[in-house]
Amino acid sequence: MTAHPLRGAATPVIETVHLGRRYRDVPAVDDVTLHVGQGQIYALLGLNGAGKTTLIRLLLGMIAPTAGTVRVLGADVSAGDRSAWAKVGCLVEAAAAYPELTVRENLDVVRRLRRLPGTADDIIERLALTPYADRRARTLSLGNLQRLALAKALLHAPGLLILDEPVNGLDPAGVAEIRALLADLAHQHGTTVFLSSHLLAEVARLATRIGILHDGRLIGEHDAGDLDRHRRRHLRLATRDDAIAHAVLRAHGYHPEPAAPAGLLLTDERALAQPERVATVLVLGGVPPAELHLEEEDLEAFFLRTVGPRTAPDADTETETRTETRAETGAGDA
Amino acid sequence: MREALWAETLKVRRSRLPWITALAFTVAALVCGMFMFILADPARARAFGLLGGKAQLSGASADWPGYLALLAQAVAVGGLGIYGLIAIWLFGREFSDHTATDLLALPTSRAAIVAAKFTVAAIWALLLALLLAGLGLLIGASLALPGWSAPIAIEGAGRIVAAAALAALTTTPLALAASIGRGYLAAVGVLFALVFAAQVIAALGYGVVFPWSVPGLFAGIAGPDQDPPGLVGLVLVAATGAAGAVTTAVWWNRADHTR
Repeated sequence: MTAHPLRGAATPVIETVHLGRRYRDVPAVDDVTLHVGQGQIYALLGLNGAGKTTLIRLLLGMIAPTAGTVRVLGADVSAGDRSAWAKVGCLVEAAAAYPELTVRENLDVVRRLRRLPGTADDIIERLALTPYADRRARTLSLGNLQRLALAKALLHAPGLLILDEPVNGLDPAGVAEIRALLADLAHQHGTTVFLSSHLLAEVARLATRIGILHDGRLIGEHDAGDLDRHRRRHLRLATRDDAIAHAVLRAHGYHPEPAAPAGLLLTDERALAQPERVATVLVLGGVPPAELHLEEEDLEAFFLRTVGPRTAPDADTETETRTETRAETGAGDA
Repeated sequence: MREALWAETLKVRRSRLPWITALAFTVAALVCGMFMFILADPARARAFGLLGGKAQLSGASADWPGYLALLAQAVAVGGLGIYGLIAIWLFGREFSDHTATDLLALPTSRAAIVAAKFTVAAIWALLLALLLAGLGLLIGASLALPGWSAPIAIEGAGRIVAAAALAALTTTPLALAASIGRGYLAAVGVLFALVFAAQVIAALGYGVVFPWSVPGLFAGIAGPDQDPPGLVGLVLVAATGAAGAVTTAVWWNRADHTR
């Protein structure tokens, strides 16, 4: 686990210290220490059953920890302090609403329980729910039900949003819309967003920091901007005679490895930085490359590799998940 | 608690359950009135066959005191079922509709939400009892039952409301069952078990120490020869009501809300 850049800085919005929750002998959340700073969009990535929802429920005081502490907006949630809830908006697991109440009435219930004056008209408009405002929740599509749940979480302009799978059920346009909304809240209004997701591409676009939860443990944290550094890259090449190509490359100080089903892989930094030189070496060695690809691991492959061999894809799947960037092809390009 | 009360009232107003429970109490008043109609004329009772036989088995007399006592017995016994369903619905629905999580991290405390639900249940139970008493007076007047006097009517209506209050008090543990069971099913099972046990234990003669039998005994369901439940029974009912309400509030505050 990497050291967190916020440690020692201003009080984190969310702070867990050695947080754990066991169900009999099964640790649902195990020794999780994390800090989320103001204005961050922190995404918790994990497979089904990794403990994401349990962690979110621990943050919201819905379940008690069996180890460690939770502080949210300075309030010791693990000790029963409820003072933060006025500034926290949340969506936990599936979106739900009172089916016999209209969208507006569902929001009015939350508004009254949050002791907010006025009406819910603004948030109805903001979440594009105006055409459905007077429709009963039972008639809403899954996507609009999700919008209603997000509207309930955003109703009081919270300083902290804790969202469990916030774009579940939304169509692509809705996903983009919610992504823009959350980014705007974080960047323009300083709202801190803590969300869980299994939609890796979505997380990559939105989050400023990513935590990877696996078997209840936080096994990695990365600033989103640094993810590129952690993703594996290699140069894949094919020639008419890979054995000769292997010898030629070894002679020039490279470290080629056999690739499946054929060809060679190079992971040397200088090969990745200057693939055209590799092509030149091969042409001069009499085995010009028939193919030469710079392949970069995508976020999904990176995530699966991070969570460990039990869930890592096999070689074929890994090949499918790679992003390929054709750098050079054929001797003529060298 | 005002905000929570507003929210609970809105949920009840938008539900069909108030109308269904009102219909159930209306049917109870009509059935009791039909018993009086049959009992008032034995020849008609025989013409009604089995129903006439059952009406005579009720032991009621076809006059105002008998009719009002029958209504009190109806609310005491039927109240456990209807009021129990109300308590189960108020709490169990939050889990069946998956809305409970929306109530857990709010400025309004969980205790206030639980208190609001019990307040709504109490008001609902009272309104149903008043409906039954009001309908009873109307039906009794339309049947021209003998033995009317204002004190008898007031005493009879008071007994109906008191029996309703006792029945309602015994349903608070069902709110706990609906909460722990996270839905309707387990609590409905508990309700069936309690209704069955109340009948059996009362028949065995131990009803005065079984809170769910007490409302029926209080309303005179065991007949005029039986002693009323007395202070012990009433205290047991009050203690059951209080214990159910408090433990439900404690559960909402302390339990792990994993669904």
